Amino acid sequence: MLAMPPALRTSLRQLPLVCVWLLAAWPLLLWLVHSSDPELAVAIAEHTANGLWSGLWWCAGSTLVLCLIFPPAPAWLRLAMTRTWRTLAMDQAPLRRALSELRHFETGARHAEIGRLARLREQNSLALHHLARAVELEDGVAGTWHQLGLILFQQQEWHSACNAFLRAETLDPGHAFGDALLYLGRALHELKDPTALTTLRTHQQRHGGGPRSHVWFAEACQRANAGQEALIALRQAAAPPRQRLSAEENWFRARARVRLWGKGSDP
Amino acid sequence: MNNVLAEADEIPVTLVVALAYGTLAVVTNMFGPGEEFVQNLHTFGWLTPGLATDGQAWRLLSHAFLHGGIVHLVFNLTSLFALGPALERSLGSVRFALLYVLSALGGGLAVCVCYEPGQPVVGGSGALFGMMGAVVAMNMRSGRHAFAFLDFEGPRRFLGTIVLNLVLGFALTFVSNTAHIGGLLAGFVVTFLWLRPGDGNSPLLKRWRLATTALFAGLLFASLVPVTRFDWLLQQADATADMQQREALLRAAVRALPPSLRPAEQPPRKR
Repeated sequence: MLAMPPALRTSLRQLPLVCVWLLAAWPLLLWLVHSSDPELAVAIAEHTANGLWSGLWWCAGSTLVLCLIFPPAPAWLRLAMTRTWRTLAMDQAPLRRALSELRHFETGARHAEIGRLARLREQNSLALHHLARAVELEDGVAGTWHQLGLILFQQQEWHSACNAFLRAETLDPGHAFGDALLYLGRALHELKDPTALTTLRTHQQRHGGGPRSHVWFAEACQRANAGQEALIALRQAAAPPRQRLSAEENWFRARARVRLWGKGSDP
Repeated sequence: MNNVLAEADEIPVTLVVALAYGTLAVVTNMFGPGEEFVQNLHTFGWLTPGLATDGQAWRLLSHAFLHGGIVHLVFNLTSLFALGPALERSLGSVRFALLYVLSALGGGLAVCVCYEPGQPVVGGSGALFGMMGAVVAMNMRSGRHAFAFLDFEGPRRFLGTIVLNLVLGFALTFVSNTAHIGGLLAGFVVTFLWLRPGDGNSPLLKRWRLATTALFAGLLFASLVPVTRFDWLLQQADATADMQQREALLRAAVRALPPSLRPAEQPPRKR
């Protein structure tokens, strides 16, 4: 799956801080070892330094090998770098401004705006809180339900996500250029619901789609034992793009190409 | 220079640092005989990792006011007057003084952790690189987001200058780039986390402040108690009366020797 488990994501975000603490504690740890066995402290330091150097070389080598044996690796690296850059370089001012405006007057639209801004900045708990409040205050806005669905989808709350996307699609058929319908289909697929294939096919017929929707449709076809249809969808996903794809779409295209190679078919 | 003197009350720390550079250049007899000058540099506080661990921790700071020659002094004074006044006005004199001291310490700690025990270092360039780090941190703090300053040509050129200085440092063997990098990182971190806080109450910022303070303390500890450095282990072995402990320390010291100094292992004799 594209979405990383929230626990893993939180752990990865804490990693730099943990590294700084380890580095800070290292001299003290060595000194503690030294007070009982000085030679052991030197040996530990020597082995750690050697291990770090070897680790660096191994990382570089294994990245190279990974790229050779698993071709989506460059696409995945591009995706990871894009997400990191987005997190670091995203302007926080609009979110702060929206939050301060909310103090004076509370409306569903304002909560929805905060939810949207927070979701873009990957502050999911904040986004969820405000989007939930937004649909409490005004439950007739398709955009709010769509944003809520996206957050729930990311958190793998498939039932709630389905409900949210369904509400968005009901309120505004074809909402967000069919995005709500596409995610509805995928959430149903995750729930192993047999209507997933129909929903995704409807999306394909009405809105066409990109590598992501083709790959999801192919996966639904495979589950329904429609192998030929899946192959066609994978070929469409792997087809050379007419314009530069976003990092996310490019990742799906890379996956489609690899699957086609796996099936012995030329992408 | 007239402008600088006219506005002396606004930039007291920059002037004091420049005066300290000049005074110490005279006191150490920079223009006199070479041997005497070197002896004076040693007396007035050049930094070697060995001396710092030998109870002379003050050298971690004192080295940042001494210079190894007229070219070195002029180069650093020029950099100080190029960066210092604007930065001092922007940060305030007390914070600027703190930045200078912590950057100099950062450079000194980097030298102590990375260099051979007898390698001497002098010069304020670690602290000057700290000022450069501070400028980058202020740019990152004042934009719409951390990297918004890259949209502007001036800050981009400034980054280019830093990189060029580092490349020059790597190319010239007599320049201590370790101190430069240590100072640069210290100046950046101090300014980014402490002197120009974004969200003062952010829990993440507090966690990073605590972690970097612990790292600074850890590096200071590693510089003053280098338990994996051969000269310190030999000193400890000399100082201890316990024979067993002495032997353990000597074994550790031999193991910690740089590969070039290690005694060659004797091949086993054939009977």
